[in-house]
Amino acid sequence: MSLVIATRAEIIKNRRGAAFWMCLIGSAFIPFIYFLIYNLKPERNYDRMAANAWRVHFQEGWQGFSIILLPMFVILTCSLIVQVEYKNNTWKQVFASPLSTGNIFFSKYTGILAMVIFLLIMFNVFLLLAGVLTDVFHPKFSFLETEVGWGNLIRRTVKSFISLLAIVSIQYWLSLRFRNFIVPIAIGLAMLVASMTLMSWEHIDKVPYAFAFLSYAKTSTVSGRFLENHEIYSLLCFVLFTVLGFLDLRFRKERG
Amino acid sequence: MRTGTIVKTSHLNYSFRNGVKTLDNVNLEVPAGSIYGFLGPNGAGKTTTLRLLLGLLKNQEGQLEVFGQPFGSHRIEILKRLGSLIEQPSLYLHLTARENLEIYRLVYNVSKARIDEVLKLVGLESTGKKRAKQFSLGMRQRLSIAIALLHQPELLILDEPTNGLDPNGIIEMRELIRKLNSEHGTTVIVSSHILIEIEKMATHVGIIHKGRMLFQGPLQELQQMKTRQSLLEIETSDNRRALEILSRQYNAQQTESLIMLPYEGKQETAVINQLLVREGIDVYALHPKQSDLEQLFIEITSDNI
Repeated sequence: MSLVIATRAEIIKNRRGAAFWMCLIGSAFIPFIYFLIYNLKPERNYDRMAANAWRVHFQEGWQGFSIILLPMFVILTCSLIVQVEYKNNTWKQVFASPLSTGNIFFSKYTGILAMVIFLLIMFNVFLLLAGVLTDVFHPKFSFLETEVGWGNLIRRTVKSFISLLAIVSIQYWLSLRFRNFIVPIAIGLAMLVASMTLMSWEHIDKVPYAFAFLSYAKTSTVSGRFLENHEIYSLLCFVLFTVLGFLDLRFRKERG
Repeated sequence: MRTGTIVKTSHLNYSFRNGVKTLDNVNLEVPAGSIYGFLGPNGAGKTTTLRLLLGLLKNQEGQLEVFGQPFGSHRIEILKRLGSLIEQPSLYLHLTARENLEIYRLVYNVSKARIDEVLKLVGLESTGKKRAKQFSLGMRQRLSIAIALLHQPELLILDEPTNGLDPNGIIEMRELIRKLNSEHGTTVIVSSHILIEIEKMATHVGIIHKGRMLFQGPLQELQQMKTRQSLLEIETSDNRRALEILSRQYNAQQTESLIMLPYEGKQETAVINQLLVREGIDVYALHPKQSDLEQLFIEITSDNI
């Protein structure tokens, strides 16, 4: 019950916060680019989208989002949500309130995960909006006459979320550990760039910062099972770093 | 109202990572219903003691009891009954006063009506949609106090609450503390490095310096100590001989142009005067020097360095 209350308090803290605005605006970026591409030069896009407008639209939109923007937004979200306490000097008030360390740790964690879900949902909403609005101006795209393919979209979104859990757990721990928000962001972005350069490595499915892109790539080539290897590693990583992060906070000698 | 001791620490020791002992055998006793002025120069160990009381630092050595319960094993129960403001205000600056209070209203599980009550109490009821970042320092401090008071705590811990406030803000803060204590029976621990601040509102005083408690007791006791430490300054035609005569009966000392001895009252002053005159020494001045609390504070701290 206390966790639910602490999580509600977290939601208020993130209201109009930097993480909220970044996720809202960030999720609209790629859909807006595609909206411009379709509307500024429609004749260049009719043919390649003729077979199934939504399928091509989602495929390209998710590709652009997954490779760098999605993990980058997640890295920033983790830092910005934790930074709310550091920046406002509020950790001491949080730790001096009658909440257990578990409630403090997991309520903030839930807030971050909720923000990641918000980011993914809003990305899909803006993708859909970009397609629908394009159709209003250029009906030849026939978005409104094509099946959206909800099943594939939900599957892609869920797999993406699972693939991001590893980064969330690592970045949350780093953000709690370092008061200076540049440190976790720098580590996160460096790891992201490193994983991009290692993309052809045979063990890339064990590099957490590459998981989001792998989920995109592997959803496009549908295999029999729901969870790919890297998604299982992501879940294991999530459990491991969640435990480590919690223990680190629990046994910290100076808090706030 | 609760009686007895509300906060008790026994043999509290604390060292930071650099190995320097920040607290050395601190035995704090805060009576219920008191305004306990926790006094000491910057870096004396006040904030460290208060942070230990709130669980913000892990206790290394010694016992810590609040409301008669050991802190370590009753952390959450204790924190439900106390409110705190440690150093500068802790506020979510992108939120309004009401939103800041709503966060803690949920945590302390109090009614929504309390938000209006505390906003009125600290005079912030008309801030509306203004965000905390647009508040003056005084307003932020008052909002922090409102958060600390939201759940009607029995004990309020305020660390340097007047820091950065203008003279009006300081007076308002003092009045608020007095009001909470007299009307609501709230025990208040208020730390400060300014003696005059504490003297104006505290019922009890604890003086800490370099991590050690130098004095603890009611304010009157501190004032009695002040009388005991008062001095009589004497200026004569022959200070060297006067010192020789007075030293036979008194603990007299000579400074550059004066002789100083402990002041013990008007009658004793007359006796000293007669004694010197009898010995043929002209007495130019006999002046009881009342060391004020400020002086005493300096004396107490400097004697023990």
